Amino acid sequence: MDPATDSEQIRVMVVDDHPMWRDAVERDLEAAGFAVVGVAATGSEALARFPAARPQVVVLDLQIPPPSGVEVTREVLSQDPSARVLILSASGEQADVLDAVKAGATGYLVKSASREELIRAVRRVAQGDTVFTPGLAGLVLGEFRRLSDGPAEPDPDRPELTERETEVLKMVAKGLSYKQIADRLVLSHRTVQNHVQNTLRKLQMHNRVQLTRYAIEHGLDGGDEDE
Amino acid sequence: MAVEDRLLRALAVLRWVVLANAIGLNLWRYDNFEHPVAGLLVVLGLVAWTAYATWAYRSAARRTAWLLAADLAVAVGAILVSPLVKGDQLRATIPGFWVMGALLAWAVHYRWRGGLFAGACLAAADLAIREHVTQANYGNVFLLLIGGPIVGYMCESLQRMAAERDRAERAAAAAEERTRLARAVHDGVLQVLALVQRRGTELGGEFADLGRMAGEQEGALRSLIRQQDSVPADGAEAGELDLVAELERLEAVRPPVVSVATPGTAVPLPAAVAREVVAVVSACLDNVARHVGTDAPAWVLLEQVPDAVVVTVRDEGLGIPEGRLDEAAAEGRLGVRDSILGRVAELGGDARLTTGGDGTEWELTFPRAGAGAG
Repeated sequence: MDPATDSEQIRVMVVDDHPMWRDAVERDLEAAGFAVVGVAATGSEALARFPAARPQVVVLDLQIPPPSGVEVTREVLSQDPSARVLILSASGEQADVLDAVKAGATGYLVKSASREELIRAVRRVAQGDTVFTPGLAGLVLGEFRRLSDGPAEPDPDRPELTERETEVLKMVAKGLSYKQIADRLVLSHRTVQNHVQNTLRKLQMHNRVQLTRYAIEHGLDGGDEDE
Repeated sequence: MAVEDRLLRALAVLRWVVLANAIGLNLWRYDNFEHPVAGLLVVLGLVAWTAYATWAYRSAARRTAWLLAADLAVAVGAILVSPLVKGDQLRATIPGFWVMGALLAWAVHYRWRGGLFAGACLAAADLAIREHVTQANYGNVFLLLIGGPIVGYMCESLQRMAAERDRAERAAAAAEERTRLARAVHDGVLQVLALVQRRGTELGGEFADLGRMAGEQEGALRSLIRQQDSVPADGAEAGELDLVAELERLEAVRPPVVSVATPGTAVPLPAAVAREVVAVVSACLDNVARHVGTDAPAWVLLEQVPDAVVVTVRDEGLGIPEGRLDEAAAEGRLGVRDSILGRVAELGGDARLTTGGDGTEWELTFPRAGAGAG
């Protein structure tokens, strides 16, 4: 599949249990030239419609009837790893946002963001970029700190940020745009973007390793293939 | 009255145990009876009453004063007829320990006063039939008088504790339900406010103002909810404040101009320290509003490093020209000196100022006393 460009129609699915919002987002996206290939009001609707709709980007509210936005993120990305999830959240409950990012969401926007911001975010997420808010960068920084402050015994799987990644993430948390960061650090825009993406990837990998380890420790690994 | 029900159910079992004991003893001491037929009738009466009492006490509706009075009367009567049946050489009454059924029923139902009253009646009856009071008789009477009130008192305490537990459980359930409802309501309100803000901005004119106000309220509400969420989780001890919640309050005052990024988990600090940190950050933000503009965006980042908290405040103004702070101080305007540097120094912290054409950045480091202990 070709990477989406501005000229092609980007296929988007909108998941939100609030009808007014769903319609508003759908209208805005269609007006901006996106193809809204599916809408859903609940987690189960989203999962049922996802395989047929095959969206490139899922615009997802975290506060939806079950399964939760976090579970939908995980499930959708395991079905189609090339899909992208952009969280559009009203309440911004921080633990949920962090969980969604760990589950693989690559973008986060609060609902008070303007229409232009939303459209730009969907486009960027579709291209494979990450859309960070300063708030999310702060959460991710905090999460890495917590991981490194954790148990004393050395854990080979414990993710760590490089000095550069920490520096970039701190700048995002302080509200600098990627372009400003690139100028300050004398890097290319692409490199800054890569650093940010790497931080998320490390968190997601760590999350996956932990889930697998948990499954093995609790005998949920469906080991009947081996034995 | 679950406590009383349970105790009386246990008492019903006890009644049959002491009845078996009484029958056994009477059979063993069969020779002591002057009138064996009358003795048999009395024992049969005890069996009948035990069966009736077991049935009657099971239902709260049947537990009337009449039942308890009759229960006690039967016990007292059984004691009083003992010398008539067994003759004057009486050593043990016919019912013996069986009378504790009535005693405990009174204690359970009427608490310590009931226990004391029933104990006194039984003791009086027991003493009335003795020609001389032996040490064993005295011991029995003493136990009756002391056991009744004690059991009554404990029953009362149990009931009070059960009532308190029920009340606490109800309160917790109600609080949980309120939180759940509030969350649903808040989410709906947030959605609508965000939508009004968005549509208002698109429509322009007066609607834009409306939208802006909705946006401010949305930010304020979201921050309030986050603070509420962090209340039970942080476990901050008395005299401590969560710096995350305190700083987010600054965002709530002027969203979306001020953006606050935090580690997401509570950062508890001694209340006085937390307030001073917030005051310093407020002073920095006031400076932004004064020198860059009231609509100028500002960003606050809170980081928790092993032995300190670091707060960064950034704006995108034109920067503070070199020597300006000293100049201002020389002119007697001590704003920055006092409100920022002075406070930071008092907290044993460190303030670093980076300023240039692309904005100003204060990096404030505050040491955490006793960090690592938590």
